[in-house]
Amino acid sequence: MANKKYWQSFGELNRSEANKKLSENEFQEDLPFVAEDGRDLGADGTSRRDFLKYLGFSTAAAMAASCETPVNKMIPYLNKPADMVPGISDYYATTYLSGGEAVSIVAKVRDGRPIKIEGNTISTLTKGGTSARVQASVLDLYDSARIRFPMANRHAISYDDLDKRLTAEMSAPVVLLTSTITSPSTLEIIKNFLAKDPANRHVQFDAISYSGMLLANQESYGRKEIPSYQLENAKVIVSLGADFLGTWLNFIELQRGYTAGRKIKQDNPEMSKHFQFESMLSMTGANADERYTHRPSEAGVVATALLGAINGSGAAGVDGKLKAGIEKAAKELAVNKGRAIVVSGSNNKDVQVIVNAINEAIGANGTTVNWSAPLLSYQGIDGDMTALVADMEAGRVGSLLIHGVNPVYEFFDGERFKKALAKVKTTVSFNDRLDETTELCKYVLPAPHFLESWGDAEIKRGYYSMLQPTIYPLFQTRPLQDSLLKWTGATGNYETYFRNFWLTKLGNLDLFNKALQEGVVEPAFASAPATYNGATIAASSAAVAGLKKNSKYEVIIYQKVSIGDGKQGNNPWLQEMPDPITKATWDNYAIVSPQFGKEVLGVDLNDQGQADDYEVFMTKPVIKIKVSGKEVTIPALIIPGTQANTIAIAVGYGRNSGKKEESNQNLGRAIAGVGQNAYPLLSFNGATVNWTAADATVEYLKNEEYKVGQTQTHSTYEGRHEVVKEFTLNEIRQNPQIVREQRNVELSAYGGIEKFEEEGTLYPVYDRPGIKWGMSIDLNSCFGCGACVVACTAENNVPVVGKSEVLRFHEMHWLRIDRYYSAANHNVDDADSIQVIFQPMLCQHCDNAPCENVCPVAATSHSSEGMNMMTYNRCIGTRYCGNNCPFKVRRFNWADYTGADSFPDNQLKEGVGKLDEAVFAMNDDLTRMVLNPDVTVRSRGVIEKCSFCVQRTQEGKLKAKRENRALTDADIKTACQQACAADSIVFGNANNPDSEISRIRRDNSLRVFHSLEQLHVLPNVSYLAKVRNTDAISAHSGEEEHHAPGSAATEATPEHH
Amino acid sequence: MSLLRYESQVRPALVDGDKSYHQITEDIVRPIEANPSRLWWIGFIISVLFLGFGIFSIYREVTYGVGQWNLNKTIGWGWDITNFVWWVGIGHAGTLISAILLLFRQGWRTGVNRAAEAMTIFAVMCAGQFPIWHMGRVWMAFFVMPYPNTRGPVWVNFNSPLLWDVFAISTYFTVSLLFWYCGLLPDFATVRDRAKLKWRKYMYGLLAFGWTGSTKHWQRHESLSLVLAGLSTPLVLSVHTIVSFDFATSVVPGWHTTIFPPYFVAGAIFSGFAMVQTLLLVTRKVLKLEDYITIEHIEVMNKVIVLTGSIVGIAYLTELFISWYGQNKYEGWAFFQNRANIFSPYGWSYWLMMGCNVLSPQIFWFRKLRRNILVTFFMSVIVNIGMWFERFVIIVTSVYRDYLPSSWSTYYSPTIYEVGFYMGTFGLFFTCFFLFAKFFPVIAIAEIKHILKRSGENYKEKMDVVEKQETEVFYHEQHSEHH
Repeated sequence: MANKKYWQSFGELNRSEANKKLSENEFQEDLPFVAEDGRDLGADGTSRRDFLKYLGFSTAAAMAASCETPVNKMIPYLNKPADMVPGISDYYATTYLSGGEAVSIVAKVRDGRPIKIEGNTISTLTKGGTSARVQASVLDLYDSARIRFPMANRHAISYDDLDKRLTAEMSAPVVLLTSTITSPSTLEIIKNFLAKDPANRHVQFDAISYSGMLLANQESYGRKEIPSYQLENAKVIVSLGADFLGTWLNFIELQRGYTAGRKIKQDNPEMSKHFQFESMLSMTGANADERYTHRPSEAGVVATALLGAINGSGAAGVDGKLKAGIEKAAKELAVNKGRAIVVSGSNNKDVQVIVNAINEAIGANGTTVNWSAPLLSYQGIDGDMTALVADMEAGRVGSLLIHGVNPVYEFFDGERFKKALAKVKTTVSFNDRLDETTELCKYVLPAPHFLESWGDAEIKRGYYSMLQPTIYPLFQTRPLQDSLLKWTGATGNYETYFRNFWLTKLGNLDLFNKALQEGVVEPAFASAPATYNGATIAASSAAVAGLKKNSKYEVIIYQKVSIGDGKQGNNPWLQEMPDPITKATWDNYAIVSPQFGKEVLGVDLNDQGQADDYEVFMTKPVIKIKVSGKEVTIPALIIPGTQANTIAIAVGYGRNSGKKEESNQNLGRAIAGVGQNAYPLLSFNGATVNWTAADATVEYLKNEEYKVGQTQTHSTYEGRHEVVKEFTLNEIRQNPQIVREQRNVELSAYGGIEKFEEEGTLYPVYDRPGIKWGMSIDLNSCFGCGACVVACTAENNVPVVGKSEVLRFHEMHWLRIDRYYSAANHNVDDADSIQVIFQPMLCQHCDNAPCENVCPVAATSHSSEGMNMMTYNRCIGTRYCGNNCPFKVRRFNWADYTGADSFPDNQLKEGVGKLDEAVFAMNDDLTRMVLNPDVTVRSRGVIEKCSFCVQRTQEGKLKAKRENRALTDADIKTACQQACAADSIVFGNANNPDSEISRIRRDNSLRVFHSLEQLHVLPNVSYLAKVRNTDAISAHSGEEEHHAPGSAATEATPEHH
Repeated sequence: MSLLRYESQVRPALVDGDKSYHQITEDIVRPIEANPSRLWWIGFIISVLFLGFGIFSIYREVTYGVGQWNLNKTIGWGWDITNFVWWVGIGHAGTLISAILLLFRQGWRTGVNRAAEAMTIFAVMCAGQFPIWHMGRVWMAFFVMPYPNTRGPVWVNFNSPLLWDVFAISTYFTVSLLFWYCGLLPDFATVRDRAKLKWRKYMYGLLAFGWTGSTKHWQRHESLSLVLAGLSTPLVLSVHTIVSFDFATSVVPGWHTTIFPPYFVAGAIFSGFAMVQTLLLVTRKVLKLEDYITIEHIEVMNKVIVLTGSIVGIAYLTELFISWYGQNKYEGWAFFQNRANIFSPYGWSYWLMMGCNVLSPQIFWFRKLRRNILVTFFMSVIVNIGMWFERFVIIVTSVYRDYLPSSWSTYYSPTIYEVGFYMGTFGLFFTCFFLFAKFFPVIAIAEIKHILKRSGENYKEKMDVVEKQETEVFYHEQHSEHH
């Protein structure tokens, strides 16, 4: 068979000479160069015309052929690692570490490098939830500011030399200064290391300390620990200034618990009730059902008043709305005894003692406050640190070993620490960068990133989370444990130590492997109370009463959701993540009240003209704030919901090397020059650090101005209930159809909800068989934390544009969280009536997409699965789609943000459209290792937008196909969905009746709505209306019977406010 | 002189002075044969400098990205498309004058049609720059052409108004150019025949396409002119209609308006005539053509301006009325908050537009002001400023605050390169216009000769005799003249 031969002619069959010649001739027929008159052109030479034609063609062809596009080479493995398939991702369970904070995660590793962090769903604490900082941490691994080799006096040195010199030099007493260490194996190593001399000690210092709680709990319960707060058991949650959804303690776990009370069942709508008493508008406060504001110095008085109201002795020391609020909260707490909880964000021991008393009174101990598994992430006591500084000053510290902390920057009296540090003979820093403290240390040992490390973390007592390296160390790093083992004289390194430690603990290798694979070792959860001792309440109440001040301005220092204590400050993703409340990026600022705006800054937000002017210009006024001799000059943002006398400033900014010009190199290019340092405004009260200060003086610097890059400048939804819908729990209960009725009115011109798809268009309606991707976002459980925003950025290679481009409204986020305020009767001065709603906004993947029909080159089109798709290499950048998108989710590449352009050297450092250092930092070879190879890096001049993580849907579909089974929900999760600790986002095939998305839409059919539904763009993203467990919706005030059918049409007149 | 050519004495003369056919040729060809004046050089050099800065601005934009402009995630189009629509609008008067007025046998068009057509062509050239260079990847601009390709079924999107623009404007440009050139043929031949310099004879010989002035040539010329006039007439109406579709077919409140096509066309003629006024007032002065571009021409065009300005005004009021009557809250917001509210960030631009386009042209109800050259010149500039703001108002004040308040934009003002690009198109326009004024007969010599015996001042005087004649005498004389 194989030799069977076909032939066209006998000549070919016989391989005749003539045939051979013929077959060698490529052009067997004469080329058709025939002149018009039929003469062969060859006969009398080529005519002039033809000559010019051929000349022109060949010149053009030669030119075209010599054009070259840059060639990037791909080199295959010479020896392929056995367990690695190029293009296939591996997942390793490990743990996110930042200070004492530990979160169980799974790292997605592609071709030997981690590119994405996911939550570990096996962890019973976070159940797969993550935060923005966790999501962004993978970028820290590739930070080009990381130290690459060990140093002595800022000069490179080998580890051998360093070990020799240090063992000789290290003199007792040795003090190891670290952040809280939760790793049991490390603690053991530290113990052995310090055992050499009884004077040696270990000091734990937390930049954000919870000393007040620890000390109070010791007083009340005899345990210097922080219990587990089980918000899932609480029907009533009262927070006294604790931002427990954004920054407080183990907030991801608290988010999980809180969410449980915010998911509403349609048949029997019930939800927890959340009271927030605070001074500034925190993200948690923004989610509260009822919110009351007070002066920062009143925090203790509010606690005692609440205790009094619960005990029946009345809310003393407060008046007006605040008093009413406290009494209301007390009533709710009393009714829900055993199903209620009070938490406080204060770092004052006395305040926390009172809070303990309240929790005792409402039966929280053992129900919502669980002492069986205390949280171990924060063990630092502020007094220990001040004692250490005193010792250093007195020369009582021989050697100081610093790990994981940056006291020169983070300590409230950094200057004092700096001077004290100079008195210590041997200073050693284990750190990943030359931060403010490390640059002053004699010896510097580069620390590995947690993604490069072995390790463990005991997040809560008995709850372990394991670390395993996901990449070969990028630099000459050595973990702290290796060094300590070596200096102790032990053999072997930490890897073997860790292994033996856990083999001993777990008993056998299989269990150890399982622990590594799953990433967590956890006991069954149990609830247990602690013995309460209320002896000191009277003293505490008395102490607290004295705290209240009546000064004109008071300052409160807080943490931003994105930056926290500032450890991850050099992370462009976090810096560019808009703050949930202020929507500002790349800066900190003083948050001031509308009253302050009117009185000091001359801006009245209640006046529409002035409000317009304030919002359309990014330039903000600058004020100088003085607190007990320390001052900070900072721009001011007017944020409704801020208590009239309160000024709030975030820590984590204002990083500077000793020599300012070294900041870029030492601290990182994204962090240098960003914001002002607020840590110096903290003070020490003898036991704990104060995060508030009264008696602040403020000076408005009229001649200075500063631009703050906000991604959203208009903050109310102007009564546009088609955009976002919110109702009170009572409204929903009384009329379960309320959302549908409102929708029906909006769509009444097109036959109401049922007929809308058909009647709303001139065109025929088509079937949509097969897969139809859909997303549901529950506005009730979304609390705006931004984890999804960063997850999306990481997954989809969304470019970082830097502050100067954010200022020009050029940020590129595919997914953003819109934040709207509403105030009762449109009076923004009424801080207590300010309500906030968050709406995650991404491409709505409209079935009747307005962007698609306007593109002249069909670069954006619809898939048969209901996705709106972008073809980047077809896009010519007319931006028409962006204009025509009602949701404004399309993003244009205004400049070459990614370096993916074919134009060389076109990233401007000067002039119009200059790019910040952070953009360049994202483009170097090291940082680009974080890019997801499944997603195209877009070049300048094209539009991009949310793709519903099309790379993930394709991967999931292929997987199901390969396994020859139907697609299930488990195959595909979008990045935003996966990151969300509140499970607000659900994605899947809406045509499959068994899918989660179908179930959610079916079970909540009365609450489903589409944003701007009346436009008939037919979005594939649906929202579930927000429900507030409160008396009235501020946004509805001033509207008559807004929900009554027939009334939406009357709202249509433009409103003037 | 035939009876058919008789024109009433009531109509004012269209050619002033005691002109003979030869004198006309002398007057119009003189600037071509003489050395350019100092004024011409100054104007030309300034134009070229503007053009140069425009080219530099585009270079910046193409190399470093559209981020060189201050557009943003909410405002995708700003000065670029504003200028595009403005220039296209200006490019309307020329063809209207040459085509529609030709079909309506309006004799007065002959004095101004050549320059007006030139203006049209240059304005469309300027307009075309904006949709091209505003693209993020202009090197891929050829994607908008429906050409057979090897990319499989990749084709242009015929649903997109931007694609309709591509066809509408390229067709309009081609037809206008042909029409203009067709009219130029006999005049080029005139210049050629008078030329004493060898290069001039050669160049104009080439340009004249071998025109000999034979009856056959004239006959073909006339028919072609009519055909092209017939073709361009619908184009005058369609081009701006299609440009208006860029907005009217969108979902953006303030853009999505069915009134746009007629309103845009009226606005285009309005601004086009204003631009013709601006240019001709300067040209007649500099080239001393007051006898051919008379105060009558100016007055007639001012009448068109007050008419179209009022149409535009009615359109504005209709928009406001409909946005109130329609009770669509988003549209209501766009019109009453973004625009009509003078205290809103862009309120000033709306009222500037209203003042320039609707109120100020009303002064042309007064004959005295219609015939005042200074007032006309001033008004023509005001109208074009107003019309620029009309486009700015439509484009920017609609998108900057549309559906989602979360995306409402910060204040948009152009960068130096955005302004530079606009200035560059002025450079292009005036560079072309100066070259045109130097090398081309700015008035259609052949056509003006057509009307000389009917509408020339000296011939009109001779008509006095005829007016008084008895019919029989007149009839007799007419016939004897020919024998």
